[in-house]
Amino acid sequence: MLKPDANREQIIELLEHEGGVTEESVRKVSQQTGVPEADIWGTGKFYTLINNPGTRVRVCDGLTCQMFGADELARQIVESGKQCERVSCLGQCDLAVASLSEEMELVTYSENETNISPANDDLAINLAGEVDLSYSALAKARLMDAEAVIEELKTSGLQGRGGAGFPAHFKWTSLINQAETERYVVCNADEAEPGTFKDRETMLRQPHKMLEGLAIAAAMVGTREIYIYIRGEYVNEVAVLRAAIDEAKGRDAKGPLGDFNINVVRGHGAYICGEETALLESLEGKRGMPRLKPPFPTESGFRNKPTLIHNVETIACVPAIVHNGGQWFHDLGRTEAGSKLYCISGHINKPGVYEMPLGVTLDELVAEAGGYVGTPLAFSPGGASSGFLPISKRALPLDYKNLADAGSMMGSAGIVVINDTVDMAQAANWQLKFFERESCGQCAPCRIGTQYMRRQNENYIQLGDPATFEHTEDVAWEMEEGSICGLGMIAAKPLTSAREHFPDHFKTRS
Amino acid sequence: MFGAGAMTNAIDEIRDSEMMFVIGSNTTEAHPIIAMEMKRARQRGAKLIVADPRKIWLAEMADVHMQLKPGTDVWLLSALANVIISEGLHDQAFVDKHTKGFDAISAKVKDYTPEEAEKITGVPAEDIRTVARMYATTKHAGIYYTLGITEHTHGTDNVYCLANLVLMTGHLGVRSAGMNPLRGQNNVQGANDAGATPIYYPGYQKVTDNAAREKFESAWGVPLSPNDGLNLNVMMKEMAKGKIKAMYVMGEDIVISEPNVSQVEAGLNQCEFVVCQEIFHNETTRFADVVLPGACFAEKDGVFTNSDRRVQRVRKAVDPPGQARPDWEILCDIARACGYPMPNYSDAGEVFAEYASLTPKIAGISYLRLEQNVAGLQWPCPTPDHPGTPTLHLDGPMIGKAEFQAVDYRPSAELPDNDYPLILSTGRTLYHYNSATQTRRDPGPVAKQRGNFIEISKRDAKIYGLQHGDRVKVSSRRGEVVAEAWISPRVRFGCIWMPMHFAESRANLLTNDAGDSVTGTGEYKVCAVAIEKVTTGTAEELELAGI
Amino acid sequence: MRQFGTVTSVKTANKIKTMNKIDSKVRANEIIGTKQIFENPMNESFSIKLNGQTVEAFPGETVFQVADRTEVKIPSLCHDDRLAPAGACRVCLVEVAGQRRLQPGCAWVVTPDMEITTESDRIEKHRTILYNLYMADHELDDAGLPIETGNGNELRELCKTVAPMGLEPVSAPRAARPGDDNPYIQFNPELCILCARCTRYCDEVEAVNAITLSHRGAETTIETAGQRSLIDTTCELCGGCIDTCPTGALIEKKAPVNLVQLGGTEAVRSTCNFCGVGCQLDLHVQNDKVVKITSPEPGETLNDGNLCVKGRFAYDFVHHPDRITEPLIRGTDGLLHPATWQEAISATAEGLMKVRDQHGADALGFVSSSRCTGEENYLMQKLSRAAFRTNNIHQCAAT
Repeated sequence: MLKPDANREQIIELLEHEGGVTEESVRKVSQQTGVPEADIWGTGKFYTLINNPGTRVRVCDGLTCQMFGADELARQIVESGKQCERVSCLGQCDLAVASLSEEMELVTYSENETNISPANDDLAINLAGEVDLSYSALAKARLMDAEAVIEELKTSGLQGRGGAGFPAHFKWTSLINQAETERYVVCNADEAEPGTFKDRETMLRQPHKMLEGLAIAAAMVGTREIYIYIRGEYVNEVAVLRAAIDEAKGRDAKGPLGDFNINVVRGHGAYICGEETALLESLEGKRGMPRLKPPFPTESGFRNKPTLIHNVETIACVPAIVHNGGQWFHDLGRTEAGSKLYCISGHINKPGVYEMPLGVTLDELVAEAGGYVGTPLAFSPGGASSGFLPISKRALPLDYKNLADAGSMMGSAGIVVINDTVDMAQAANWQLKFFERESCGQCAPCRIGTQYMRRQNENYIQLGDPATFEHTEDVAWEMEEGSICGLGMIAAKPLTSAREHFPDHFKTRS
Repeated sequence: MFGAGAMTNAIDEIRDSEMMFVIGSNTTEAHPIIAMEMKRARQRGAKLIVADPRKIWLAEMADVHMQLKPGTDVWLLSALANVIISEGLHDQAFVDKHTKGFDAISAKVKDYTPEEAEKITGVPAEDIRTVARMYATTKHAGIYYTLGITEHTHGTDNVYCLANLVLMTGHLGVRSAGMNPLRGQNNVQGANDAGATPIYYPGYQKVTDNAAREKFESAWGVPLSPNDGLNLNVMMKEMAKGKIKAMYVMGEDIVISEPNVSQVEAGLNQCEFVVCQEIFHNETTRFADVVLPGACFAEKDGVFTNSDRRVQRVRKAVDPPGQARPDWEILCDIARACGYPMPNYSDAGEVFAEYASLTPKIAGISYLRLEQNVAGLQWPCPTPDHPGTPTLHLDGPMIGKAEFQAVDYRPSAELPDNDYPLILSTGRTLYHYNSATQTRRDPGPVAKQRGNFIEISKRDAKIYGLQHGDRVKVSSRRGEVVAEAWISPRVRFGCIWMPMHFAESRANLLTNDAGDSVTGTGEYKVCAVAIEKVTTGTAEELELAGI
Repeated sequence: MRQFGTVTSVKTANKIKTMNKIDSKVRANEIIGTKQIFENPMNESFSIKLNGQTVEAFPGETVFQVADRTEVKIPSLCHDDRLAPAGACRVCLVEVAGQRRLQPGCAWVVTPDMEITTESDRIEKHRTILYNLYMADHELDDAGLPIETGNGNELRELCKTVAPMGLEPVSAPRAARPGDDNPYIQFNPELCILCARCTRYCDEVEAVNAITLSHRGAETTIETAGQRSLIDTTCELCGGCIDTCPTGALIEKKAPVNLVQLGGTEAVRSTCNFCGVGCQLDLHVQNDKVVKITSPEPGETLNDGNLCVKGRFAYDFVHHPDRITEPLIRGTDGLLHPATWQEAISATAEGLMKVRDQHGADALGFVSSSRCTGEENYLMQKLSRAAFRTNNIHQCAAT
């Protein structure tokens, strides 16, 4: 039981300040905050950036980095006498292979630079566009009433860009209908889905779009309290964001964001915290374990108060919608509403973030990205969670509905293209490992299922005997039916989709 | 004051409280399972107010902790009454209907302003106001207290002050409210109910009341004494004076548990005859002429009555060791040997039936009903079809109109001075129980607390040059003991605290046997002591001190 | 601090029947929050469909609470009435009409006309695979079932109800606490299903927060801060973690490990002999020895399934060699010597009567005991009053 004056929300950051979880640091943080030692210990041990003090090089384990030789890089680092830890996707798939140095600086091994779509005012985010510091959309929204702004959102057809694709206006409406007036706006900048780096580019290139969107949301739902939860590995992005906030708050808080309390909270190495309720738990200084829903965050979110949570890209679309109207945004899309940031990496020539009409095909996207490298075999359309599709689906519109109908998902639009040099059983294994490592461990189907999947697939890779897969469909079924949150539900997808679409890769091997 | 010396409300009502006012009770250590109900209420949003000189566990969870100086309870409680009355927060309808003497109490507490109280008690006036307002305006607000209230020379005054608060705010006969003394031992309530008191027959029927006496004379077939007997505190003093010449002590280690035990020892030495009925040798059996081996709770049948007046069964699970026998059988044999024709009870149930037949409060309870009601039956339960009474006074005070008791603050009998500059309070810990003959025979309590210690503030420790774990000699006008010093944020500057459990380092060599004028209860909570760092000591001495 | 108004502990009407003092409507309202219990005690009930049957429900009730009043049994591992629902074990998933996913019965709050199904092919399949997954993550005995450590293993009972799939063990790398030298509580991670009942009990009920879920994913385990011995933590050794553990991953160090395998022991219901709360105990007896003490089920008695360190563990004194096992009379040498009962009783009677005859009855003092039974206190005062005609009878009423 927490003391009334205990300060739990600070503990993760304080632990990091103390160099990570040790008996001594935990005792000290307990004395500082009044939170029981065991709670601090258990919380700290959840997060990979602080759970094991000491310096080391962290090498990315993500699909693209694996395809480009992450194992070899790790081997070389170990040979050079340094400590090396393999970590989940660092969000630098366009610059693969990526690592974090002992000083927590980003080190990438790639000849590429990040490519983005050229500036174009008919794009919602417009990464290459000029930075607009006027905050005129916020001013405009403030002159409208909340219902009118929400009506524009509704017309725009904006769906959650984090992966779920839930219509944004529903959340806003739900929030303003709550009796409780203590409310929060939270930005989910915990981008960690392998293959995904669009929020990274948005925060680096158009931070004010995101901040303005958050301010509009806060003003419309009646709060000044804004929290931005950003993954801890995004060291540069945090700095850029903080500078942008200072800029927009202005001297003596006279700037356009002067009257908002904007808190940047860093994650500490847990993919699951991208799940919105796990994110809220983490914000509250707890283990990032997803909550049961209902209640949904719009009723009971941060500090058990109504909370509006949006992904970076979703919220960054809002200023343009307020500016140009919902219809304008809606019409930017092709099969579904709006323009969309597509991340693309893997076996293509110009990896990067391309903002294109929602519903373009893989071929169109790859054409924009300089064409395929080698003979394409497969692609993962929306991060690890979306599994794999065969290249035969290259003409499928990349939107929420069509991808779902194809048994995959739009997800975060982190597209990885894989050519025929890759063994799909191996590709599946990389993804399975990711989910096993990132499962929060709370519910059995996910915690045990992810271990089971990875082990069975490794057995197959070792022994070449497909009989090892006797129960994988059943276990996958249970993971989808029985897990608490989305992670467990899709964690078997890499293996089941690979086996479905690439049976040749899962035959008896000698 | 309202008719019964017991918790007015049931323990399981606590979880539904809106507010709990805990004073003089270290509930998590002395009544862990009641504390769990308090924690549950706290989790569900109930306010928690703690008044205690120590920053006990509950105080850390409290909305307000009033860390008063030991012995200043009357000031604090009168100041709460002052705020309630002066701000018009009292329950006028309840006061009119169920009480008398409100004008007198109003006049009495007028001078006990929060500001003055702050000077005496050390509790900020604003906290006193906050608590008074919260208590008066919250319906389901209960008071919970223990020996921190009663173990003073003004213990009865403290209880009166609490009762005044309950009455003026109408917190009586309401669920999850009331006035709730938490009894320290498994069957204190039952022992009192059964008449093990010098002034009452079973069921609080006065020995000086002719009708009551005639009833018991007729039931027991012999003439009875019409005079009040001596309470334990007075009995010990009379024994020291040589007036009491024989003692029959059953299941109590009076040489550890009574205050100023050197006087008790002197008295026992003078006695012509001492008989102890016990399960273990203890400090008192050293003085016994005869020792009778009794049975522990697992070896006999009977009932215990807990703090919320709940009569529950004790059942024999194993045989007593060796020749040891259930205590009730021994008592019957002794009575017969002394020439009194004690009936031939075939089992404990027959004893209970006789006891219940003479005691209207429990007349409706039988062993058969206790089999059927696994959660026990709470008295009053006057008839076999009565369901028992979880909450008392639902129709107003049992005694009709309850009277406010106006009392004045009196300082504790012994205050610190130059020779003995610190205030010592004593009490229980979670891990041990009373004289610890049971708990020190189990590894867990021993691992947690091996021997005696004092809690001392950082500031005092600095003054006396003490490090955590140093040995200190603690002395009072009555005796001295050696203990380990634990530097603790729990105690106030100028105050130390010591547990009562350790035979080789007895806190009650130090405590003051000045008794409350009504109950005779000793002043275990306040006495003046001096401390001194012990730098020498042989291994044997250390061993003896449990260090 | 949990949110005010969330579900805490809700006892079912049939479980508390014997307490005859808290009606089920008040209980049902517990989940709405303290205030409303009193101010709105007569919340209207409504009906829902449970496996096709129409049953009564109250606002705010969960599927479990409604089902508890019916014959419908929903299996569960992570639920304890005293704890907020966690929905973590996934054993209790049920079908809710209109919901795409299966939902946890322990946490799902019913609304009027809701249709709940607790048995179906889908649920059967779910349970079969789930239990088999648990078995892949659990130490099994020769029969291929989760092993029994003497504390009862609810998982084992559940696993008996489904067909074994023979899933390959996952060998999760969960840390134990080998250096924990506390005398009472043993943790075996191989039997732990991470339901977190122990850590939640430690937080929500005992509220000392000595243990925690630690690490994540496959490595998730139960730890103390710094993996210290429980003795060196805030643990108060109440043993509630053992009591609530469904699989026997937590067991008592001092109770015989094979208690259950020996065919169970005779349990005698009694009242604790320490403080004045009056907790009910079940004394487990083997060969005329108390070998273990447990609490009655939550909801049955006033201690609601809870005990403290003394009540649960401090029973070694019962069979301690230091017990006085024979009457003793002090000899002329000043020492106590064994005697027969007849000698001791005569000596006692003579000693008391001699003082009475020489100095009067009021020169006698009788100290009864608040540790002894009501009957014994009655007899002690009767002895003093009827046999000796003195009211000098008291006990440590104040302590």
